Amino acid sequence: MSRSAGALGAGPSAAVRAAWSASAAARTARRRTRVPWAVRFAAAFIGGLIAVAAAAPVVAPQNPERGSLGARLAAPTLRAADGRAHLLGTDHLGRDVLSRIIFGARVSLAIGFAAVAVGGAIGGGLGLLAGYHGGWLDEVIMTVADAQLAFPFILLAIGIIAVLGPSFRNLIIVVGLSGWVTYARVLRAQVRAVRRREFVDAIVALGGSAPRVVLRHVLPNVASTFMVIATLELARVIVLEATLSFLGLGIQPPTPSWGVMVEEGLEYLDSAWWISVFPGLVLMLTSIVVSRTGDWLRDVLDPTLRGA
Amino acid sequence: MTMRGFGAFLAYRLARTLVALWLVSSVVFVVMRLSGDPVPLLLPPDAPTSEIFRVRHDLGLDRPLAVQYAVFLQNVLHGDFGRSIHFRQGAMGVALGYLPATLELGAAAFLIAVLCALPIGILSAVRRNSPLDHGAMGFALIGQSAPTFFIGVLLILVFSLRLNLFPTSGRGGLAHLVLPAATLGAFTMASIARITRSAMLEVLRTDFVRTARAKGVAEAAVIVKHTLKNASLPIITITGLQLGTLLGGAIVTETVFAWPGMGRLAVESIYNRDYPVVQAVVFIAAVLFVVINFTLDMLYGVLDPRIREAG
Amino acid sequence: MARTVRTGTGLSRRELLRRAAGAGAAAAGGIFQAGWAAPAAAQTTQKRDLIVAQGGDVSRFDPHMSTSSNDVRVSFNLFDNLLSRHPDGQLFPGLATQWKRTDPTTWEFKLLDGVKWHNGDPFTSDDAKFSLERTYDPAAHTLVATVFTTIDRIEAPTPASLVIHTKKPDPLLPARLAFYGGQIVPKKYLTAAGPDQFNAKPVGTGPMRFVSWVKDDKAVFEAYPQYWAGRIDVDRVVFRPIPETAARVAAVLRGEVDLITQLSPDQWDRVNQNPSTMGKGVLYAGLYVLGVNSKVKPLDNPLVKQAMSLAIDRQSIVKDLWRGRGLVPNGLIAKGDNHYDPSLPPLPYDPARAKAKLKEGNYNNEPVIIETTVGYVANDKAMSEAIAAMWKDVGVNVRVEVIEYSVRAEHNRDRSFKGLWWSDPTSTLGDPDGMMWRLLAPGGPMDYWRNPEWDKLGTDARFSIDEKFRDQAYKRMNQMALQYLPWIPVIQPSEDYGIQKYVAFTPNGNQQLDIRRFNFHMRRG
Repeated sequence: MSRSAGALGAGPSAAVRAAWSASAAARTARRRTRVPWAVRFAAAFIGGLIAVAAAAPVVAPQNPERGSLGARLAAPTLRAADGRAHLLGTDHLGRDVLSRIIFGARVSLAIGFAAVAVGGAIGGGLGLLAGYHGGWLDEVIMTVADAQLAFPFILLAIGIIAVLGPSFRNLIIVVGLSGWVTYARVLRAQVRAVRRREFVDAIVALGGSAPRVVLRHVLPNVASTFMVIATLELARVIVLEATLSFLGLGIQPPTPSWGVMVEEGLEYLDSAWWISVFPGLVLMLTSIVVSRTGDWLRDVLDPTLRGA
Repeated sequence: MTMRGFGAFLAYRLARTLVALWLVSSVVFVVMRLSGDPVPLLLPPDAPTSEIFRVRHDLGLDRPLAVQYAVFLQNVLHGDFGRSIHFRQGAMGVALGYLPATLELGAAAFLIAVLCALPIGILSAVRRNSPLDHGAMGFALIGQSAPTFFIGVLLILVFSLRLNLFPTSGRGGLAHLVLPAATLGAFTMASIARITRSAMLEVLRTDFVRTARAKGVAEAAVIVKHTLKNASLPIITITGLQLGTLLGGAIVTETVFAWPGMGRLAVESIYNRDYPVVQAVVFIAAVLFVVINFTLDMLYGVLDPRIREAG
Repeated sequence: MARTVRTGTGLSRRELLRRAAGAGAAAAGGIFQAGWAAPAAAQTTQKRDLIVAQGGDVSRFDPHMSTSSNDVRVSFNLFDNLLSRHPDGQLFPGLATQWKRTDPTTWEFKLLDGVKWHNGDPFTSDDAKFSLERTYDPAAHTLVATVFTTIDRIEAPTPASLVIHTKKPDPLLPARLAFYGGQIVPKKYLTAAGPDQFNAKPVGTGPMRFVSWVKDDKAVFEAYPQYWAGRIDVDRVVFRPIPETAARVAAVLRGEVDLITQLSPDQWDRVNQNPSTMGKGVLYAGLYVLGVNSKVKPLDNPLVKQAMSLAIDRQSIVKDLWRGRGLVPNGLIAKGDNHYDPSLPPLPYDPARAKAKLKEGNYNNEPVIIETTVGYVANDKAMSEAIAAMWKDVGVNVRVEVIEYSVRAEHNRDRSFKGLWWSDPTSTLGDPDGMMWRLLAPGGPMDYWRNPEWDKLGTDARFSIDEKFRDQAYKRMNQMALQYLPWIPVIQPSEDYGIQKYVAFTPNGNQQLDIRRFNFHMRRG
């Protein structure tokens, strides 16, 4: 990552200068790019989704876990057999699909953000260690990274959940673990680049603390990169959670989750297609919007990440 | 970089790879053993406890974990992955038996991806900003971001249930292959289409092309030749990543379409606690991934000497 | 409808053919009745193959090594029993032509003469003796070891006669012989080939002969031309596993298969409305119940369990979830069994009384867990979620946990279920002894609750030959069971099949799929 090229010289002011130059680049980038309407839409969508998810009990028209059996498999309608409106229909137990999608957003976003945090923390930490320490620790960490990449992670996820049991916490851990490698690699590269500079040895010779220097130089540079990665990871993680739930290993009934809803509707795909299609569409839209936002952030903040 | 240097580099990578494989196998071993006892699945509820103990002993499951691990390692080095608890045959044999179905699916997916993506990418670049371009890139966006399982569900709904063009599931003739292959290949197709389009746009911009046009060389030949050359490296990179994670995507696709491949076998075996088969499948997948990436690294190194320098 | 055991004379070949013709005539009437709705061409076929799609693959061909319904459907056609339970509930001769009880603990059987195994060996009473003894031989490790525990010893005085001595008077022995465990296997071939080889290449006396098996793909059989009850109507029989309901239904709608099992209620209308197919159902000879681990709080409190039972709207479950394909049980005895009491009302739905009972029982919001599988019992997950919602409505702190078959198997044998789970007990003998007692008896597979009076009644009733006494005993046991609820019965569903209209067969409530001439043929043009 060539960004740190501007951070020359020793002393605290170098770190400040580094941070300033990084943000200056960002500011320049921002000035040069008008925010395209697609990204405005994306921001609004994500903001709206978070708001709806947070206010789910208020926003959702009905209880997502209680349905009237007499109104099951009802097509989108303003008045079903139970006398209520179901704008997106009901599922096989008579539960309102729209309400379940809204509560499902809660689940997906909560797990999404938590998993990204977990992955970022683990990956960042390991990357720092690997880059700073070098030597055998670096080799070990990178070999583990290779091993995880050599492995169809979803199998490991299935296996672990089969052992630990499906629960919110386990799901967050497993999904979070799926993505640490990307963060680790970035952080490791940054740390190595800075670590190698002579000024670090100079500071140590003067009695300063090498780790602090490295951190000061690394963290500001890494911040924008991390933001890009985190956004792209958020999209991936939401899809992974949905996939695991689709396979029956994620969220358990009766808590709604978009992945679970798609699976539940499979049996009725030819007659009550809305049970699978609507949650799937929302999931797809969320994934597209979030990953496009990530793409745009990357183009603006750190084009060198392209292809990473 | 010297040949000797390159050889050392390869040897080092190979060693790292073997260690990674070992790590993977061990993790799977531990996870599967911890997931529980497969014996109750094999016997009826009213089987006497002595039965349970006998079967457990027959399967070697009553020994301490460390001992089981040692035996496992020893056997693996001899190529013996044990006997499948569910199928009652050699586990590696079972896994290899399901491999052709997955390879068939993967090859078909890749073929569809490349055959569709290249022309789409080229056409989109040529007719830049046209409705075709926007539409194609829109689809590419969906293909890259949408979850595989949902793509499969949508394809089943539209092309199988509503339009009745293809069967909904299972493996059989060519008709059975289309929807699963399209689902599995969607991501790759989208990626390749976008790369091709970018590469094409770059090529169209260059002086070289203008000169060639001026000289009157057939436009099509110019376009195709140089675009593909330009795009080849990124496409190979993507290919490497895609083929390597083929099994991951295959697991979901095979589940949605009830395709009798290795991915689905792995999932079923985890549910059945059939450890030997899970280990065998993971091993095969890891080997495939590693071999393919190795080959691609070499290809890359040969094609682009700059990479070797950076090491 | 009490089922009486036939101590009948054998059916002559003429009688058998007459019955088969009768079945055909009834079917012809059916064609003309439904014929106006669909083209006649779809109603007949020249096919010589029968393709059956089940919800799971065959696991073992050895009839003593599996009791799963997917295996039962195959093994009852590969092998014969001494007696045969027909779909109308009556017992008919099988390999035994006559049977009678000569003294309280002795049954004598006359066996068929001239029957040959699929490999040409002659069938004799030695095979029957070997077969039955094998089931409870500890060295054989069969899965049906508890079926014939009432047998003391067996004698084979002549090749065509068999004598069975029971430990205590056992009036139900003929019924036991008709069910799983009672399939007769060849002594000579099995002893020579060993159990593994026997399972790989099974040999029986049944109407179809084994050809090949590709796991998870198909099991292929051919008609056995020398079958003693007449060659079946097709040349080949293929069993295919299609686990996904939607795919299985699609297969029959498209004409890819001739018959599917486990047709879900939501698809019943579709299969019937399709011009070339129809649904065929029979009341399941058993119940779907929630098993209760009465050792776990608060399920040790009968009042809590009674409240939970009262809070279940079974009518709605039957009408809405099962689309009417089933009925609400009135106790722990299935309709169609001996000693079923039609005067008892269906189990009631009364949420107000349920709440009152919870209060009365001092229910203190202790968690109640339903461990449900997905598809082990039809609609299990859906019913779990629906019932959980109903219980939440009366104030029960209930949670649903989805578990794998492997976990269910483990909890089942360790008796370590956390609360409630789904079970589909089959009434194997057409009698409460074969269902309620078999499963809930001391030491039985669902032994979580004991009561001395109940236990004594069950034991006495098993060995009694006084039907009046047995009737009283089971009435009392049913009454007590509804009070202490070791099971919470939910529904007696219909076992539904989807068939092409040219298939004529009568389903059997005990999950046997009988393709013998008397029960199955294709309508030919």
